[in-house]
Amino acid sequence: MFRTEEMDINMGPQHPSTHGVLRLVLNLDGEEIVDVRPVIGYLHRGVEKLSEHRTYAMIEPLTDRLDYVAAISENLGYCGAVEKLMGLQVPPRAQSIRVILAELQRIASHLLWLGTHALDLGAMTVFFYTFRERELILDLFEQFCGARLTYNAMRIGGLLEDVPPGWTDRVRHFLSIFPSRQKEYEDLLTVNRIWLGRTQGVGVLSREDAVALGTSGPTLRGSGVDYDVRKSQPYSSYDQFDFDVPLGTKGDTYDRYLVRMEEMRQSCRIIQQALDRLPEGEVRAKVPKYIKPPAGEVYHVVESPRGEQGFYIVSKGSEMPYRMRFRSPSFVNLQALPMMCKGRLIADVVAIIGSIDIVLGDVDR
Amino acid sequence: MGATTRTVEAPRTTGAREILKTFLLLELWVGLWVTLKNQFRPHITVEYPKERVELSPRFRGIPRLRFHPESGEELCIACHLCETVCPDDCIHIVSEKKPDGKGKRLVSFEINLERCCFCGLCVDPCPTKPLTAIYMSHDYEMADFKRDAFVAPLKVLLNGVDPKDYKE
Amino acid sequence: MGQDTLIRNVLIPTAQILAVVLILPLLIAYLQLVERKVLGFMQARLAPRRVGWHGLLQPIADAVKLLIKEDVIPEKSDRFLFTLAPIATVIPALAALAVIPFAGAPFTVFGYEVKPFITDVNVALLYLLAISSLGIYGIILGGWASNSKYSLLGALRSSAQMISYEVPLGFAIIGVMMLAGSASMVDIVEAQRKAGVWYVVPQLVGFFCYFIAAIAETNRVPFDLPEAEAELVAGFHTEYSGMKFAFFFLAEYTNMIVVSCIATILFFGGWLRPLPNVESLWWLQNGWLILLPLTLGGFAGWLFGQRTGRGLPPMIAGGGIGAAAGAILAMSDLGGLASLSLPAVSGAFWFFFKVSLFLFMYIWFRGTYPRYRYDQLMALGWKWLIPLSVANVIVTGLAIVVKGAVQGRG
Ligand code: SF4
Ligand code: SF4
Repeated sequence: MFRTEEMDINMGPQHPSTHGVLRLVLNLDGEEIVDVRPVIGYLHRGVEKLSEHRTYAMIEPLTDRLDYVAAISENLGYCGAVEKLMGLQVPPRAQSIRVILAELQRIASHLLWLGTHALDLGAMTVFFYTFRERELILDLFEQFCGARLTYNAMRIGGLLEDVPPGWTDRVRHFLSIFPSRQKEYEDLLTVNRIWLGRTQGVGVLSREDAVALGTSGPTLRGSGVDYDVRKSQPYSSYDQFDFDVPLGTKGDTYDRYLVRMEEMRQSCRIIQQALDRLPEGEVRAKVPKYIKPPAGEVYHVVESPRGEQGFYIVSKGSEMPYRMRFRSPSFVNLQALPMMCKGRLIADVVAIIGSIDIVLGDVDR
Repeated sequence: MGATTRTVEAPRTTGAREILKTFLLLELWVGLWVTLKNQFRPHITVEYPKERVELSPRFRGIPRLRFHPESGEELCIACHLCETVCPDDCIHIVSEKKPDGKGKRLVSFEINLERCCFCGLCVDPCPTKPLTAIYMSHDYEMADFKRDAFVAPLKVLLNGVDPKDYKE
Repeated sequence: MGQDTLIRNVLIPTAQILAVVLILPLLIAYLQLVERKVLGFMQARLAPRRVGWHGLLQPIADAVKLLIKEDVIPEKSDRFLFTLAPIATVIPALAALAVIPFAGAPFTVFGYEVKPFITDVNVALLYLLAISSLGIYGIILGGWASNSKYSLLGALRSSAQMISYEVPLGFAIIGVMMLAGSASMVDIVEAQRKAGVWYVVPQLVGFFCYFIAAIAETNRVPFDLPEAEAELVAGFHTEYSGMKFAFFFLAEYTNMIVVSCIATILFFGGWLRPLPNVESLWWLQNGWLILLPLTLGGFAGWLFGQRTGRGLPPMIAGGGIGAAAGAILAMSDLGGLASLSLPAVSGAFWFFFKVSLFLFMYIWFRGTYPRYRYDQLMALGWKWLIPLSVANVIVTGLAIVVKGAVQGRG
């Protein structure tokens, strides 16, 4: 009779849709996935070790390169961790500006995710639209800090400079056009039957599994777990803003998509509030010229667009950290991939990778 | 703030109206309309070597040194602060005592652009007034065929390089 | 054999074949440019503009590039089949063009009557279905011979897809055949002239089935699974490069043109003007004099508009100028163009106008929709399209019988 064989296929590290240099070894039975083994480490740069030989100020540019599509969140988390360690109080204006930046970054990051996710599923035009709008945000960042990707936008104790004149108006302008643009993406995707077919019921991650695997961010909230660091452990004055945490119900790719779409709307809400009551004053606390935190340990988490981004610093009281460790959400979320993929088709793997929104810089560090 | 979660749900597919919509492929037509409409929006891409985007004043390009705007003297006082603070060790300064004994002056100043990550940290501590001697310029074109070209010596740092013109 | 028969039976057909085979690649190259332009404009970007005015020479540059590119044959591949596959794909695609009538009326060259089609056989539709099935061989061979897993998966997908979608395609065509009572392309169009209505009206469901099946048959978005670049890199032609790749490419676009032509002929009256029997619309017969400059002007305005960042106004202006120029030309009868009522030219204009609309639809879909998954594609084909097209055939048959009975009595 027939002899059937399972086939191993290498997806990546050079593959159009593994978003960077992820390598997946797929064990296939026809087109059906028997097993998936993610192979990571192609982008390992040893950031944690490198940090042990750098002063605290020098580490911030390194954090830009962890999750390079959401560098502001990394900056914010890192600065927050050092500030916590030093017991620094960041001036309220700086806190609010940080929130604006972080939420703009969340929108930018989600736009990049939406574009590539849609591109993976064949809807190529959405990619260009989301990049068009992302470009507006990058322009705002460029006006604020001078860079478009690796921002190095904050400094320990606050910000380097206040926002440039007219910047807040430009942010408002962005907020005024963004909702109509988001409506266009939704017209192209949210109700499209092909999109529904490709995402609904695909890559289901149950509530229990999501918690057990330690996932966070939209991947976790898509499964209906109400956990958002911005709410549970507010940092940088997030407790003063009014926003909703979107939750999915089924935990499939489509729910994660909806959660991120709603998060973009909520981010707009937060930015609007922050702009409306932007406090006056300094943007940087009094910081000693040489930053030497007292001996001790600190763990600080922020909600990056991908999930819970943690920074663990051990200080021996010198200019450089004794040990540094990043809890990167992509790395943890990636663990859920094999579970979600089993028994599905190749085409679904692409959808699922897209839906957990990993960034390899963040996974490999 | 109070309990603030919001459950996101898929669009309804039951009910007579929804079924009719599905039957008429309504959402597919809407999608087509969106792409058609966007055809008449202005393009946003720039034909790069011919046109260049406008950079914002804070843009961080290649770090360079500058002269005093009025007197035209070198601003740098060879304090080595930027060298110390640079995370990538890409600044290399050699200085000597000024002949009159007061202060130091530069003998050479190199930035290895292969290592530079354009973080702008070197600008923060520069002590000269009214302008920092080192600054992030608006130059960003640095492709070259030889690695030596990336080690920018003092002369280049001060004067910059002319932007390459695009010829059809 | 007299000289006359020689010319009539050998020379003219050869010239026709050469014309089709030589013009087609050029047409496809420019179709590709149009596709890139339309997609680019839909996507807020400019599309090729470097080579020539608005990139108008880009297709030539691409063709030259493909010709002089290194032709890589993977070491572990089956060299013979690897070379055979692109040829086996492109030949059926080109052969299909043999029965496509581009216009109705014949025209005269040096006193010889030339028909605007290579041949008119009475089994044209069957021939087309048969020929299009042959194209699958090339794809399977290519995927198999490349000895690459991605290619193999792509080839398997496309063979399954094309075989499944041939069934609804065939059924959709049957409806038209029943109405026209013929399988010859020319007869079908003539039947539509007699009926006074394009068959898309009585055969709306059939057309719908045909259109969807045709997109799937040509592996275009949203059914472009065989080459789903996000999953399978490039599907069955992953390993191909240079001229061999160009052949696959040529075949794909030829297929696209062929199915558009068939759709035009079967459902949209081929070379007939809109409402062929309404006498008061006679001027549409010469409509090309105005419509052609209008389209060209509109297109130029569109290109110009993208450049200046204003979309619609230059396009309308360009179209207006074109139409005005055409109208003046028509009225003042410059060069005797208008009075020179050329049915062949008029027919060809309407034919290509409709085909272009179809091709635009293809590009438009590509710019809009995500891609189906393999099993969903199969489900759509077998669970929806096939029943629908079969139902269409049954209903059409019943309608014809009932109508015949009524007329027979009356
Ligand atoms: S920009 Fe950063 S890396 Fe470059 S020279 Fe300055 S401090 Fe060093
Ligand atoms: S910090 Fe400024 S003044 Fe000091 S060495 Fe660097 S460029 Fe010169």
